[in-house]
Amino acid sequence: MTLFDLAVKNIRRNMKSYSLYIGSTVFSILIYFTFATLKYSNDISGAAATSKQIQGVMGAAAFVLMIFVAIFILYSNSFFMKKRKKEVALYSLLGVRKRSIGCLLFFENMVIGLLSLIIGVVLGFLLSRALLSILLKLMGLDVVAGFTFSTGALINTVIVFFIIFLVTSLMGYRVIYRFKLIDLFHAEKKGEEVPKARIVTVFLGVLALAAAYVIALQDLMDSQVWQALGLATPIIIIALTVIGSYLLFHSVLVYVLSALKRNPRWAWKGLHMMTASQLLYRIRGNAKTLTIITVLSATTITSGGAVFGVYYNAEKNVEMYMPYTFMWEGDQQTIDPAIIESEVSFNSKMIRVPLASYEMEYAVIDESTYQTLAKNLEWPEVQKLQKGEVFAIDAYFDERWSDKLESVNINDTDYKVAKFFDQALFNVGTLGANAIVVPDQLYEEMDSDEKLLQAVNVIDYKKQREVSDKLAASTENFSSATADYNSSIESLGALLFIGSFLGLVFLVATGSIIFFKMMTEAEEDKAKYAILHKIGVSNKDMKRTIRGQVGVIFIAPLLLGLLHGGVALTAVSNLLMMDFLVPVVIWMVAYTLIYAIYYIATVYNFNKIIRRSYSEG
Amino acid sequence: MEPLLLVKNVEKAYGKGTNTFNALENISFEIDHGEFVGVMGPSGAGKSTLLNILATIDTPTSGDILIGPDNIAKMDEEKLADFRRDHLGFIFQDYNLLDSLTVRENILLPLAIAKKKPAVIKERVEEIAATFGISNLLDKYPYQISGGQKQRTAASRALISKPKIIFADEPTGALDSKSATDLLESMSALNEKHEATIMMVTHDAYAASFCRRILFIRDGRLSKEILRGRKTRKEFFQMILDELSQVGGETNDVI
Ligand SMILES: Nc1ncnc2c1ncn2[C@@H]1O[C@H](COP(=O)(O)OP(=O)(O)O)[C@@H](O)[C@H]1O
Ligand SMILES: [Mg+2]
Repeated sequence: MTLFDLAVKNIRRNMKSYSLYIGSTVFSILIYFTFATLKYSNDISGAAATSKQIQGVMGAAAFVLMIFVAIFILYSNSFFMKKRKKEVALYSLLGVRKRSIGCLLFFENMVIGLLSLIIGVVLGFLLSRALLSILLKLMGLDVVAGFTFSTGALINTVIVFFIIFLVTSLMGYRVIYRFKLIDLFHAEKKGEEVPKARIVTVFLGVLALAAAYVIALQDLMDSQVWQALGLATPIIIIALTVIGSYLLFHSVLVYVLSALKRNPRWAWKGLHMMTASQLLYRIRGNAKTLTIITVLSATTITSGGAVFGVYYNAEKNVEMYMPYTFMWEGDQQTIDPAIIESEVSFNSKMIRVPLASYEMEYAVIDESTYQTLAKNLEWPEVQKLQKGEVFAIDAYFDERWSDKLESVNINDTDYKVAKFFDQALFNVGTLGANAIVVPDQLYEEMDSDEKLLQAVNVIDYKKQREVSDKLAASTENFSSATADYNSSIESLGALLFIGSFLGLVFLVATGSIIFFKMMTEAEEDKAKYAILHKIGVSNKDMKRTIRGQVGVIFIAPLLLGLLHGGVALTAVSNLLMMDFLVPVVIWMVAYTLIYAIYYIATVYNFNKIIRRSYSEG
Repeated sequence: MEPLLLVKNVEKAYGKGTNTFNALENISFEIDHGEFVGVMGPSGAGKSTLLNILATIDTPTSGDILIGPDNIAKMDEEKLADFRRDHLGFIFQDYNLLDSLTVRENILLPLAIAKKKPAVIKERVEEIAATFGISNLLDKYPYQISGGQKQRTAASRALISKPKIIFADEPTGALDSKSATDLLESMSALNEKHEATIMMVTHDAYAASFCRRILFIRDGRLSKEILRGRKTRKEFFQMILDELSQVGGETNDVI
């Protein structure tokens, strides 16, 4: 029997910790390969009109994914190596040269890499087909996904992961070289100093976060910060958030825990003291992990929420500027009367209105047309014009930069704008966003070219593609809610898919990082819990302590991540002027639920490790 | 005859600058081939530090340590690894067994590392397991056996390659008295019958009474040395107790 045989045996019997590591690498490869396959797929690029954009987004997403996957594998690898420290130390103690141990680990890691690559690619191939179908559905394209194997994706994946595995293998080699035998004997004894909470750090942490939030929530258009810092602003916001989160974990947690521990009424009840001490003892190491988890959570929540929010708003957005399904200039066309909900034929003139520094073109309609159009759109109150009054409409109105029209001069008479509407009365695409409603008689008197317009509302407008295409070919200045909706769903669907895909990957990885972290802690805490068991602490109390210890690590970054995400999404929704509340709440609840599943799994496994240790020992 | 182990002016300092703490100061002694030497002293005296340095696990700040012709204080790491493999055996308080290997596999690990032939390995494993009375446990896993049996497994592993010298740090520290006696008797038998050279750190007078000679260490310095000579183990035990009460060491502290 050689050392190699023993090492192989060791792998077989340690399958659990190996499978955790192999699982992480397979997962990473699976995800990356799937994504690469989608990126290289002809189905998407061929089918979607907006494919150039989608390709660009996909390329950027693939890059983010690559960085992320690399970090994730590095993290799993270092967790895996930590678990094997004992084995490595024993080999070294028994006189195996470091070079041989290094080679063994290097070789092993490369084999694991190769194995994962094969499994990951096969699974990824199967998964990509399923995902492709989902993607095409979300994009609203009726194409059957082909079952083609993408060589480009394969080559791309192999190169990326070969580099990642080479790096982790070399890092493993370096760990061996820096490792000193004596560390093994001191590892557990080396107590970290219990950190002191400094009020200055608490203050700085809160300050950094507050600053980040204030800057983020500023109005892009008239914020002085944005003007001063320009494009560096988002980077500064992110940096402040990361630093603030770190300081917060680093000192606020210490502060709270120390205060709790000093309070006998809380601390001396059951195992509270123990929970607080455990957390306090490792706070330094935990602050970093907690910050990473917070940032990952915030990223996932923000990007997912934003994409989901935009997708959710797509319909509203289209209907906002395209209140009529079809509109065009010219004569009536034949449309199947069965699908028509309402139909208006009206005239419009043009007028140029001089504003402060420029001239603006307004479409002019008479009051009876306004009343028909508004009634069709079910506007709540359809007012009547009084003498000397007009109404104004600006569908793009935004108080931040639009001027409100106060009065207009038509035929040398000033008319007061009695009411101002900031929503579209007809399709912006055909007649523009600005309109003035004048009394019928004034309309007649106006001297300007007149054009004939048609506005039609049909039932089930999203599906009337054929009608839309036919009209588009035979009319002028045609605008169609059907076409707009479908093309925005096409690109937003892809965006939604990429967003949820990345969100899911981040979520899984975030959960796994906490899971790895807690399993490491469980191994380290075994002895302490064994002592508790020996002095007669009940299983129930022990479980409660574990739930608390794990709970803080889960909840603290989740809450902070949700807060960061909430602020970021508020900023995004302000910027896009969309109401994100419903989709964001849905998304946050979903995120929290999946996160909770991780918590339960972690507590379960933590318990298992502790129980095994004292039933053995 | 040349001593097997020669320790000359060994010092060990921890920390830096004004914070230095001398864990070992000016330690010199010898151990001959076939000796069973105990090292005693109050906790924090530097016993483990000394043993780790002799066992090449740690390095001294200054001084020389000669095992045969080799000065291990001056060897590079690769050579030290070879040296450990070929000449040293270790038993620690926590057994350092690999949970994923059977008792047999744990024991034969050093021979596998030294690339011995399977037939030789098999024979040696059975021989050493018989000495420690664990022949019937060979195919069990560490989690299936008791603490005492684990420690005997670790001792078997330490001895299987017939090392020149065996280092043991509180090997009975975590054992009940029956298991401790079994282990100490086996070690003593190995020492007497096979002339194994053993150096054992302990703070238990009972465990120390199995040794032939005892070095006392206090605040990092050698303070006294006593020999068993022709006395019985019981008499020697009494002598150690007297000695401990004289130097004021703790006779009954735990761990
Ligand atoms: N890595 C270290 N860093 C600093 N001081 C140490 C270290 N290891 C041991 N010491 C100190 O050296 C002294 C001797 O320790 P040790 O040899 O473990 O004592 P013992 O005789 O109980 O085995 C103790 O005071 C201990 O605190
Ligand atoms: Mg000690």
